[in-house]
Amino acid sequence: MRKLLDFLIRKRHWFLFILLEIISFTLIYRNSAYQRNIMFSSANVITGHIASVSGAVTSYLNLRDINKELLERNGQLEMELLKLQDQLDMMRADTVSFVGFVPDSTDEGFSYSFVMADVVNNSVSHLSNYITINKGRKDGIAPDMGVVSERGVVGIVSTVSDCFSVIIPLLNPKFRLSCKLLGSNFFGSLSWNGRNARYARLDGLPRHVEFQKGDTIVTSGYSAVFPAGIIVGTVVDFEKQNDDNFYSLEVELATDFYTLNNVRVIRNYRQAEQLSTEREAKKND
Amino acid sequence: MINNILRGIIYFVVLVLVQVLILNNIHFLRIATPFLYLYFIIKIPVGTSQTNVLFFSFLIGLVIDTFSNTPGMHAAACTLAGFTRQSLINFFEGKDLPDGIFPSFRTFGYGGFFRYVISFVFIHHVALFLIESLTFFDPLFLAIRIGASVITTVLLICTVEAFNIEPQKSGD
Repeated sequence: MRKLLDFLIRKRHWFLFILLEIISFTLIYRNSAYQRNIMFSSANVITGHIASVSGAVTSYLNLRDINKELLERNGQLEMELLKLQDQLDMMRADTVSFVGFVPDSTDEGFSYSFVMADVVNNSVSHLSNYITINKGRKDGIAPDMGVVSERGVVGIVSTVSDCFSVIIPLLNPKFRLSCKLLGSNFFGSLSWNGRNARYARLDGLPRHVEFQKGDTIVTSGYSAVFPAGIIVGTVVDFEKQNDDNFYSLEVELATDFYTLNNVRVIRNYRQAEQLSTEREAKKND
Repeated sequence: MINNILRGIIYFVVLVLVQVLILNNIHFLRIATPFLYLYFIIKIPVGTSQTNVLFFSFLIGLVIDTFSNTPGMHAAACTLAGFTRQSLINFFEGKDLPDGIFPSFRTFGYGGFFRYVISFVFIHHVALFLIESLTFFDPLFLAIRIGASVITTVLLICTVEAFNIEPQKSGD
């Protein structure tokens, strides 16, 4: 008995080692789940604030590029506005104005709205990358909301604390996005191959679809997270998949994750309704 | 003793901040990230009890995890590396080292310290990248990443060690 106790005490670092490894792996596995633990992520108060200070410093470094991008974007929008104005004028001239028409004031119209946020923590080199932003529950952000940048899709909100949220970006094997070719309705699923933060892969596009390099890939709008038609990227290469019935496309992502600074979180007023309806429908299976 | 604790805390805070604010953003050629915070575990004085080494390794791993959104990964890898630390020191330097000295170029000799650092970093990186690739396996890329990161980490640690001018005689 005494020898046994002696042995146990002498080898206590073995037990501590095993215990600590068990704790670590519990954390790894429990947090691999889609909804993550707030305490050990950068959405926790302390880490969030330290990250936001460093984010505030680094955000000055590429202001020039951001400014240029905004100017370009501004120009594009102005062009679009002019075009729409032009169309509107033409329509007006065409139709006889009818004073008795009262539009339905209860109609919500477009069911999405944006919340602007700054990126405070970002990674592109890991296999599972995450982004932290400085808006949280107080600003109306909830898990499962879509996130876009001024150029295209970024990712989806996974964990939310009071002032911070963690986003699972496209650069994470856990995230798959339903996408389609602009102008057609054929859709496939986009995922990241873990290597280069500029490219992702679109699988499951039927063989008979016609497209060429340079075509635009947009969101399909099937997921209740993103509205249809947000730019994801452009086709740079394609190959047939092994089973030969589907194409696999190499997509250059529109969003540059290396210099991501400002993002918009999309709030969909009807997301809850759509999801509950879908759940209802599945229950009947 | 107090000196030692204070020194440990300063090392801990400075290395964690340098790691999460600067080094985590470095991806040399998109594959290599240096993990300088291992320097904290490497510099724990010889003769510290195994349980303490294990505990500190786990702690710094967990803190790094919390900042870089990788719960458990660094903690697991650090605990493993901290566990093998004593055996590595015994293997490269023999068992007759006086207690309380800090591992350094002076006390271990250039070759000895270098071998100790390289094997320690290698164990940690292999564990870390293997755990990370549980979600996504890609052997060739994995090997490249491990190799590149080991090289950058070892270079950085040796550079820091060469410029570390604190008195190296003993801790206490």
